[in-house]
Amino acid sequence: MRTFISDCQRATLLIERRADQQLPLAERVQLWAHLHLCAYCRRYAVQSPALARAARLTAQAPSTARLPSDFAAQLQRRLDEPS
Amino acid sequence: MALLVPEPAQWLARYGDDLYRFALSRVASAEEAQELVQDTLCSALDALASFRGEASERTWLFVILRRKVVDFYRRQARSPFVPLPVLPEQAPEAEFFRPDTGHWQPGQGPADWAAPSGEDDLEQQEFQAVLRSCQQRLSPQHGAVFVLRFAEELSAEEICAALQLTAANYWVIVHRLKLHLRRCLEKNWFGSTPRS
Ligand SMILES: [Zn+2]
Repeated sequence: MRTFISDCQRATLLIERRADQQLPLAERVQLWAHLHLCAYCRRYAVQSPALARAARLTAQAPSTARLPSDFAAQLQRRLDEPS
Repeated sequence: MALLVPEPAQWLARYGDDLYRFALSRVASAEEAQELVQDTLCSALDALASFRGEASERTWLFVILRRKVVDFYRRQARSPFVPLPVLPEQAPEAEFFRPDTGHWQPGQGPADWAAPSGEDDLEQQEFQAVLRSCQQRLSPQHGAVFVLRFAEELSAEEICAALQLTAANYWVIVHRLKLHLRRCLEKNWFGSTPRS
């Protein structure tokens, strides 16, 4: 039987939801109780926002890539055309 | 103050590489990134009349590019609906959680990610490379939500509108993709023995 104490699937789903919106009081209390008792989900609760932060950093990582010159030359011709 | 007049012939020289780098950070391949740049500049050319010189040319082009990124993932994620499972045993989550209790399956519970050296892993290039490779193993729909949510930082409402998802489906997808991603990282980064 699933209870909020055993239900890590539900607890981790609530952890994802709470990153975006405030949870209703009942769900906050249940999540709090679950996290109090479950070390795995406590880890998940730390890792999940860390992962979001890592994704943001990765997307912003500086790059030195340049547009390939043949592609740029081709595109330039279209931009030069008087319209 | 004179309003700016767009100069399409200068776009590539001025902003081409920056637009390309941004596009590369949002899609998986160089070809897709080039296509985004091309679509962006062609759309901008068609929409020259709408450029009012209030924002800078650069800002305006980036707004168009970001719209192209959303369109790209809208196409990629196009699938009628996320099958929300009938029976817990058939749910994709059953891989991670026991259907009867909802507790973590044996061996699936999150491990401790403490970095042995105490340094912050998240900013390292090698870590970011592993994260990108894990990201690319996500399903097209999960990958689309990942980029829009965690790179573009769109709101849940914006993503639901772009990908035609219900809020309930959206949360299920975010949850599933995080489960896959964190397991992939655990296996390929945190779990890997000596890194050099
Ligand atoms: Zn738990």
